[in-house]
Amino acid sequence: MSVLQFIIANYKQVLFLTWEHIYMVGLSLIIATALGVPLGIIITKHEELAKRVINGANVIMTVPSIALFGLMLPVLAIIGHGLGKVPAVIALVLYSQLPIIRNTYVAIKNVPPSIRDAGKGMGMNTWELLREVEIPIAVPVIIAGLRTAAVMNIGIAAIAAYVGAGGLGVYIQQGIDRVYPEMIISGAVLVSLFAIIVDGTMALVERIVTPTGLKVQKKLVQ
Amino acid sequence: MITYDHVTKIYGEGANAVTALEDITLTIEKGETVVFLGPSGCGKTTILRLTNRLESITRGNIFVNGKNIREQDEVKLRQQMGYVIQDIGLFPNKTIADNIGVVPRLLGWSKERIAKRVDELLTMCRLDPDVFRSRYPAELSGGQQQRIGVARGLAADPEILLMDEPFGAIDPINREQIQDEFLKLKEKLQKTIAFVSHDIHEAIKMGDKIALFEQGRLVQYASPAFILTHPKNKYVADFVGADRALKVLGIILVRDVFNPCPENIVQGSATAKETLTFIENEDINYAIVLDNDKPVGYVTPKILKYEQSPLRDLVDAFPVHVRKRTSARDVLSFMLMHDILTLCVVDDNGNFAGTVSYNDIQKKIRETYTGEMKKDKGDRL
Repeated sequence: MSVLQFIIANYKQVLFLTWEHIYMVGLSLIIATALGVPLGIIITKHEELAKRVINGANVIMTVPSIALFGLMLPVLAIIGHGLGKVPAVIALVLYSQLPIIRNTYVAIKNVPPSIRDAGKGMGMNTWELLREVEIPIAVPVIIAGLRTAAVMNIGIAAIAAYVGAGGLGVYIQQGIDRVYPEMIISGAVLVSLFAIIVDGTMALVERIVTPTGLKVQKKLVQ
Repeated sequence: MITYDHVTKIYGEGANAVTALEDITLTIEKGETVVFLGPSGCGKTTILRLTNRLESITRGNIFVNGKNIREQDEVKLRQQMGYVIQDIGLFPNKTIADNIGVVPRLLGWSKERIAKRVDELLTMCRLDPDVFRSRYPAELSGGQQQRIGVARGLAADPEILLMDEPFGAIDPINREQIQDEFLKLKEKLQKTIAFVSHDIHEAIKMGDKIALFEQGRLVQYASPAFILTHPKNKYVADFVGADRALKVLGIILVRDVFNPCPENIVQGSATAKETLTFIENEDINYAIVLDNDKPVGYVTPKILKYEQSPLRDLVDAFPVHVRKRTSARDVLSFMLMHDILTLCVVDDNGNFAGTVSYNDIQKKIRETYTGEMKKDKGDRL
């Protein structure tokens, strides 16, 4: 039985697992953005925190995902969620922090000092400067951070099948257990396809949210 | 009016402390343009940034229109002052209209009022509002961007303008032009302007007064003419340059030196013979011929001797006429180019207003320099 036949025969389950995967990645990305972007902005105004926060995010990144699930298991077991979607989403949120915080921080820091100086000198307060100038200029790079995080999380979410979180990783995990190549390949192909689609979509979003003035600038430079 | 009262600025602390400004006291009167001049690192930019509290004062006080800036909200203080910088700092994500409208929007002006003001300023900067309103900064040339920078500083019609080398990033030809435009604007707008520059030419051209700095200290504060003719010490003299007599020529205008009622005037209707008699009686070398109050040229006895036709057909035309606003530097340049020592001064309608001669200019320079000459023990050679 070929891979395509396997998918067609099990299309209901495929749809359900895909939905689980989207749910985990989507939810974690929303939470991660809500945490990471403001944190990235705050550390541009408090330089002394910047190094620590980015180092912290870096350390999280070095922990292998399977080890992170293992570490969280006893802790989350206290509230009865040692397995399932909760540890999966928490892990994904943690892993997303580095690309999101780092990109936000770098993007805001890279706004030319003369622009910030002019804005401040004309009487913009910190918030007005952020809202009207710094964030719009930084937004393409921030979205690029989200894009990296999303694609990376699709991969990590597949491993979360081992802690019973569901998603397309289930096919890979069960396929290995049952020595069922079609199942393994179906899972792998679907996860990859999902990642490619998300990457393309985010690239499009990146282009759409870039302010027109910056697009013009980029075009003229080329 | 801006008053600096014993202002000192020190960066850093303890052993690493650097004194950027030391005990600066000076006043910029209302409507006056003062150029803070000096080499890089002399503190000229720092004093500007202290004025709108982008930097904090270490000791001393700054008063803007009599009010101590320490006691004012810094954001409100900055909104009252236009701020123009060398790097312009236009917001690349905003259109030209939105860039100019930043401060009015912060001040809560209505949309219509902002739009009207933007068009007004664009027109004033000689940029067509219909073309430029909706463009982005990246689509403009450097000179155009710089004009927008100035327009943005003027947007809310602030009484005070702080300009940090505003024309520094433009090529020399465009700079000259934009300076001239700004001078005209300045005359119309009557702003109090603090202007930072490292260029003595620009300072002489733009400033009512020049404050010359050296390593955080104010060395001399006076009008450009006074600094050129009476440099306080060697540092100032070196900074203004060895050719400062020539630079003075740039400040002296025809209206300061010209002769409004010369005696060697004849009307175009006069005959050659009458004129010859006139020239001989007055003991002059030539006569200037006017026709309908307009200078048509000059005649010398040599031409007149053998001619009968009316005077207006005999004249040698002047190669060029000058205005009262023409600088002595330009007048001298015309004289050298055309090998002539006297030129006619005309008003805006082309009517004769007087004459200006090489001797007039030389006399004025001598007067201006008298003070310094005396110091040199009257040695004129």
